[in-house]
Amino acid sequence: MSRGRGLSGPLFLVLGMAAGVAVGRRWLDVVEVRGGSMAPSLLPGDRLLVESHSYQGRPPRRGEVVLAPDPREPGRELIKRVAAVDDAAASAELRGDAPAGSTDSREFGAVPLSAIRWRAVFRYWPPQRAGRLSPGE
Amino acid sequence: MLTIRSLLRPSRIVDAHCDVPCGVYDPEQARIEAESCLRIIEKHDASDDKLFRARCIHVKEERAELVKNHLDVLWHDYFKPEHLEKYPDLHDTFWKASKQASKVKQSLDVAAAKDLLAMIDTIDEMWKATGGPEKTRVNGRPS
Repeated sequence: MSRGRGLSGPLFLVLGMAAGVAVGRRWLDVVEVRGGSMAPSLLPGDRLLVESHSYQGRPPRRGEVVLAPDPREPGRELIKRVAAVDDAAASAELRGDAPAGSTDSREFGAVPLSAIRWRAVFRYWPPQRAGRLSPGE
Repeated sequence: MLTIRSLLRPSRIVDAHCDVPCGVYDPEQARIEAESCLRIIEKHDASDDKLFRARCIHVKEERAELVKNHLDVLWHDYFKPEHLEKYPDLHDTFWKASKQASKVKQSLDVAAAKDLLAMIDTIDEMWKATGGPEKTRVNGRPS
């Protein structure tokens, strides 16, 4: 496989991303991860593309990586994985992928679905680990 | 291409956060060390053995230092700004309790050690009233 061919996919994605972000940070945005509670899937310093379109049409699903406001500290935004969704209560349990080193719903309880607006879809930095974020279990 | 670069600059930080300590807090930890101080002072006073008395002083100073440490952790890790609304004298209470622990560290005063216990009990009441037993202990505080 030629090098040029291998790069065209990611390059296209990054250009598309930039275009998307340019359209407005209301639907697409880029964020940087701080802290290690999502290791090994996300590491401190990872840069991600996040989108807010999906959750206007459907609730978050188990396994998705989402942004949610910290219920204990206004102004802080958390990144965690959805561990369970309670449709009746309209809330989600959030967990870090590194449960031993994560402050999450085990401590602050379930988070209302209405508070979860952003879904993390793609890591573009660092380039060696660029790629779609797979929904885990 | 410069614009693409600027567009790829993160707009904000998101926290894959961990408080790292386990989130387990209980004033009992400070109280047990403070009780040690009280008992050690009593044993010190009851003994004629010079060496034993020296050991008492040494161990009591260690225990008193632990009281200060446990109080500090409760103060800045467990208690949150919203608790301050409920207990406006929270900072003052901790400040005085820490000072009292220093006093116990420096002296062999039984009354000072008892006062320290009373101050820790005041903090314990705040901890209980803010849901500490349910929120921070694994199965609540063992009875």
